[in-house]
Amino acid sequence: MKIFRLYYDMDEEVNWLHKMSSNGWALKDFFLGLYTFVPCEPGEYIYQIDLLNDGDEKDYLEFLEDSGVEVVARWFRWVYLRKKAKDGPFELYTDIDSKISYYIKVKKFFQTALILEIICLLIELGAALTTKSPIYFSLTILIGIIALALLRMVWKCQWKIEQLNREK
Amino acid sequence: MICLESNLPLTEAIFYILLAVRKPNHGYGIIQEVTEITGGRVILGPGTLYGAINSLLSKKWIKLYSEDKTSRKKKEYLITDDGKEVFYKEVKRLEELIHNSKLMEESV
Repeated sequence: MKIFRLYYDMDEEVNWLHKMSSNGWALKDFFLGLYTFVPCEPGEYIYQIDLLNDGDEKDYLEFLEDSGVEVVARWFRWVYLRKKAKDGPFELYTDIDSKISYYIKVKKFFQTALILEIICLLIELGAALTTKSPIYFSLTILIGIIALALLRMVWKCQWKIEQLNREK
Repeated sequence: MICLESNLPLTEAIFYILLAVRKPNHGYGIIQEVTEITGGRVILGPGTLYGAINSLLSKKWIKLYSEDKTSRKKKEYLITDDGKEVFYKEVKRLEELIHNSKLMEESV
């Protein structure tokens, strides 16, 4: 079964993958919003999504596989990971410090994306204003929506980091 | 040698990782042993463990014991003398805590 969906919030995405898994559908592959599911036992897998660091991707993925984690799919720097539920709980980050560094890493990722989107937005807006073409105006709005979604993620990560710092 | 005391107290994760590599151990082995000896109270996530191992390697508290590239064998880690020293300093600190905690009973 293939489902097309656009997620920008990895926490919501993981929740959805869990729901699919408890309904007997296991994620097998992901590419550009296209999720491929295959039948599984209801609740067979626990999924997690991680953002790879620049430079040690290979080393980290090997380490995860050695730790009994299955790498389901990889897209850009994002990886979809899973473990069988019968092997116990599966969380990637289990103490406050590593959770904070995870959200710092994710925040940086979205910040960079946001800056690139804003540059695109300005270019499109310039084109829209000079050509007065409706295509450029629609593109400007579309890019604006994406930029807002990215901004929301930057805020969300910042909020999470502050929450975790307060728990320390 | 750099002042090891400034690294104390150790986080629970670091304490148990050092303990689990008193003999050569790999990532999965560390997770399993820590889960076992704490009765499932401390479960190290692989992401947390990976970060902790890298930080311990750069502090030279643990070292890479074996890495067989040809057979894709799991990497094994082993505690160093510095690692042992900091571990025992932490144990001493914890013993002091336990010792002093007895004062609570005297007040009754």
